[in-house]
Amino acid sequence: MTTPNRVLSRRVPLIGHATGQPRDGGRNGTIRWSSLKARQTRTGIALIAPAFAMVAIFVLFPLGFAVYISLTNWPLIGSYHFIGAQNYTELIHDPQFIHSVLFTLLYTAIVTGPIFIVGYAMAVLVRSGRFGSVFFRTAFFLPFIVGLATESFMALLELQPDSGAADFLLAKLHLASIHTAWTVSYGLSLTAICVFVTWFASGLTMMLLMAGMQGIPAELYEAANVDGATWWQKEIRITIPLLRRNIALALIISVIGSFLAFNQFYILTEGGPGTSTQPVVMWIYEEAFVQYHLGYATAGAITLVVVTGIISAVQFYLLRDERDQKKAVRR
Amino acid sequence: MSAVSDTAARGPGISGTSVTGAARHRPRRTARDRAGFALYLTAGALASVIFLAPLVWAVLRSFMPGTMVIEPPSGADFSHLTTANYTGLIQANDILHNVLNSLLVAVGTGALTAVIATLAGYGFARFGFRGSGLVFALILVTLMVPFQALLTPLFLEMHDLGLTNNLTGLALFYTTFNLPFGVFVMRNTFLQIPAELHEAAAVDGASPVRTLSAVLLPLIVPGIATTVLYAFLFSWTEFVGALTFLTSANLYTLPLALLNLEYGSVGQVNFGYLEAGAVIAMIPCVILYIALQRFYIRGLLSGVVKG
Repeated sequence: MTTPNRVLSRRVPLIGHATGQPRDGGRNGTIRWSSLKARQTRTGIALIAPAFAMVAIFVLFPLGFAVYISLTNWPLIGSYHFIGAQNYTELIHDPQFIHSVLFTLLYTAIVTGPIFIVGYAMAVLVRSGRFGSVFFRTAFFLPFIVGLATESFMALLELQPDSGAADFLLAKLHLASIHTAWTVSYGLSLTAICVFVTWFASGLTMMLLMAGMQGIPAELYEAANVDGATWWQKEIRITIPLLRRNIALALIISVIGSFLAFNQFYILTEGGPGTSTQPVVMWIYEEAFVQYHLGYATAGAITLVVVTGIISAVQFYLLRDERDQKKAVRR
Repeated sequence: MSAVSDTAARGPGISGTSVTGAARHRPRRTARDRAGFALYLTAGALASVIFLAPLVWAVLRSFMPGTMVIEPPSGADFSHLTTANYTGLIQANDILHNVLNSLLVAVGTGALTAVIATLAGYGFARFGFRGSGLVFALILVTLMVPFQALLTPLFLEMHDLGLTNNLTGLALFYTTFNLPFGVFVMRNTFLQIPAELHEAAAVDGASPVRTLSAVLLPLIVPGIATTVLYAFLFSWTEFVGALTFLTSANLYTLPLALLNLEYGSVGQVNFGYLEAGAVIAMIPCVILYIALQRFYIRGLLSGVVKG
């Protein structure tokens, strides 16, 4: 036991517990092992209770409740009926839901690569700790800190035809017309949002990769230098293999973030034109709080919980793996 | 041992002078080194411009007259700088009221998360009992549950508890979804303090609360700072939860007030006001991050960050 009564417990059985002295033993300067243990447990439970209560009320209960709601035709007001799996069978035949799932997958497939590559390149730039690297790191990370909602409002202005900075710059470079309206067509808004999100999110990937890169022993690179390895060879043979776990974590966090996309689409396109740029979270939101099909919307939400849950489980597996390895090293 | 834990174990985050293979101090700088350094500076400066320019540009735009905001950018824009967008936003839209709402929720979320996570972290680190590991795992597993997928049951439940359209309710919701991270960080913070300190205080007869407040508190400040920073920034920038749980305009947090400027206004959107409001929303994030980035990076190294 690594607990505070380690010091005491050694002599306690001789005095209190083993000899079966009365309960007031503690007051006579002797301490019963079992009462200490009980007090320890009581203190532990009391300290943990508020956190557990919050999680139980606002996560665990809603999770179970969600499964229940998804099996009913729950409206916003009025009575509901238990309809079994009907919502789920309807979901897989609902073209709008299917479209939002496919759109989310497409969006994720497009942005994950650029976010990773830009993040990796920036991590390479700032990992050295040379003059200026803290400034560069801060500059690259600020878009992530400011947040997607705030920046989407800024982007809305810059993506306007004629007056936005995007058209202004692209027209100067002869790449697009000054009249291009980026937020009102499917292809243009998806393109603009992907570039915008890459700018927003690659700083996080950079941070997660940089931490790992700085943990790689310098001796490995020195040995490679002695052998005359090129920069590229060192990156492929040393950095990437040793960074496997950080790379996996960065990709998982990025993919889950993309699956849960909402702000940028809601603010910039409102899902339009029509519902063509509607990601899954927006489908859930609209179905629940605009159409008031709470049961049906929740069935869609449950599928999202299952998918993100499976991906996060991989993240947990990687973290657990790391803890086990740490233990092994200590031994 | 993995790279992340290796760096984490070394302590307060990534120092600017960490030595890697690429940057060992060599006795003499060769011409090749100098060329490499020049390339590094150029690439870094160029990339910094790409990443910072949109934010700096937004600040400049917010000081342009409303009529110019909706015209193509030109050099003349900078000769008419004015605070009209800000004064208009404050007078016509009472934006400071929304700033206050956001601030109340964010400060409340930060404080509540800090207190609850500190207590739980202390409990898990030093008062383990049969089954406490399971409770810890259960709290950590909730990291996997995206709150975006629980909006419907949460709305119904919070509505019945009188917590919808209520800033306290919003703060409780934000606190809960910051707890798994906070509890994890605080438990690790307590585990890094030598157990002897806690034991000595207990032997001297100090109660757990007194041990925490008199002996351990100064040592866990970095952990608390990390927890508060994440909770505050999460709350300040959160959008879809506020959109779902708040319906009265007088309770709107800043992002909702901006959405109201975009969709609520009749006719043309006042982009000058929108830009000024976005800049107001941006400022606390930038200041807090730059001032406290040491603590922010500490949190990133815990490995339980969400995107």
